Amino acid sequence: MDRQEQLEFILDHYENPRNRGPLASPDIVMKGGNPGCGDIVTLYVRLGGDERISQITFEGEGCTISQAAASMLTELALGKSLAEVEAMNAADFVEALGREIVINRLRCATLALNTLKAAEKKYRAGQQARSAAEAAVENF
Amino acid sequence: MNEKGYAHPEAVVTTAWVADHLNDPNVRIVESDEDVLLYEQGHIPGAVKIDWVGDLNDRVRRDYLSRADFERLMSEKGISNDTTVVFYGDKNNWWACYAFWVFQLFGHTNAKVMDGGRQKWLEEGRPLTREVPSYPRTTYRAPERADYKIRAFRDQVMQHVLNRQPLVDVRSPAEYTGELIHMENYPQEGALRGGHIPGAKNIPWGRAVNPDGTFKTAEELRAIYEQEQGLSPDQNIIAYCRIGERSSHTWFVLTYLLGYPSVRNYDGSWTEWGNLVGAPIEKP
Repeated sequence: MDRQEQLEFILDHYENPRNRGPLASPDIVMKGGNPGCGDIVTLYVRLGGDERISQITFEGEGCTISQAAASMLTELALGKSLAEVEAMNAADFVEALGREIVINRLRCATLALNTLKAAEKKYRAGQQARSAAEAAVENF
Repeated sequence: MNEKGYAHPEAVVTTAWVADHLNDPNVRIVESDEDVLLYEQGHIPGAVKIDWVGDLNDRVRRDYLSRADFERLMSEKGISNDTTVVFYGDKNNWWACYAFWVFQLFGHTNAKVMDGGRQKWLEEGRPLTREVPSYPRTTYRAPERADYKIRAFRDQVMQHVLNRQPLVDVRSPAEYTGELIHMENYPQEGALRGGHIPGAKNIPWGRAVNPDGTFKTAEELRAIYEQEQGLSPDQNIIAYCRIGERSSHTWFVLTYLLGYPSVRNYDGSWTEWGNLVGAPIEKP
């Protein structure tokens, strides 16, 4: 895409956000923020049996880039396993969003991705805590 | 603007004035926003965009652009030394005032702010376009940046505190008291400590504007800054906020609307002071 097409791509995601709104009974809810612009993004994630993302939505407020990036992220992350989420690369994400357009607001551009990565860690930490609790009960 | 009683009415123009000067070759309209892609979603016809991060800040240091870069920027935007530059933007003109302030560091005094900013232009149903204008490059000559006039650095602020000279903290009351270290509803990051610089008065920037984003009259402003808060034009005043954008708004109000001759903006603001090891902080 050339610069104009990339710009139109971002504006389309901002003006017609995909997967926007809360999700009932999510497996993970994660909130992230960026003080530079006052951007806030909340991700709702539901996992399938194989720990792949079966549904993902977002809510948020803030600048055009942060909200467009969150919309784009929900499309990219759908169907990915948590391991694949962990492996997602910020540079690739920014490239897909339009590096030239977002270069001066990289924190806004990566807010949703970083929030999803934090969500993955939160879920893993919760899993470990549950396993430890179950082990403690078994050993009691 | 004469009816509002400002000390420098020439520094503020109405949306109607701007509408009447869209094709004036001596006027360049500049949009400066927090949201870097608002301009792309539609801007005043003929307006150019100046971004505080990409255009006005140094790319490496926490500082402003150099004289050579300012000259280059002016040339690219088709601004000559004698062009009248009119700023407007989102967030009640925070970044418009910030850009105006940076232009003053380089001595571009032929500058104005559009009262009410982008919000008022939109609410009045005035035209927007996505067409990006192109202007012939100019030859612009700027002096070295005059930081000493209207910009305060942390050592100067420290001396100001010791001298018990007036400081104006334009942040929200909760930021001032240290309950929050950023605006309400914003993520609480950016400084390690909350509170305010000792002796600072809390006069939130928003007290200077009406609900439609326009500046209050000089009489209303004097009632706030002078009768209520005890400031006066003979004082040497420093204003600050979190990163210097809201305080540029108050700097503009005190300097141009009330005519105070000695007001400086501490752009290091709370992100510097609240992280500064050993700096004195008042926190009730």
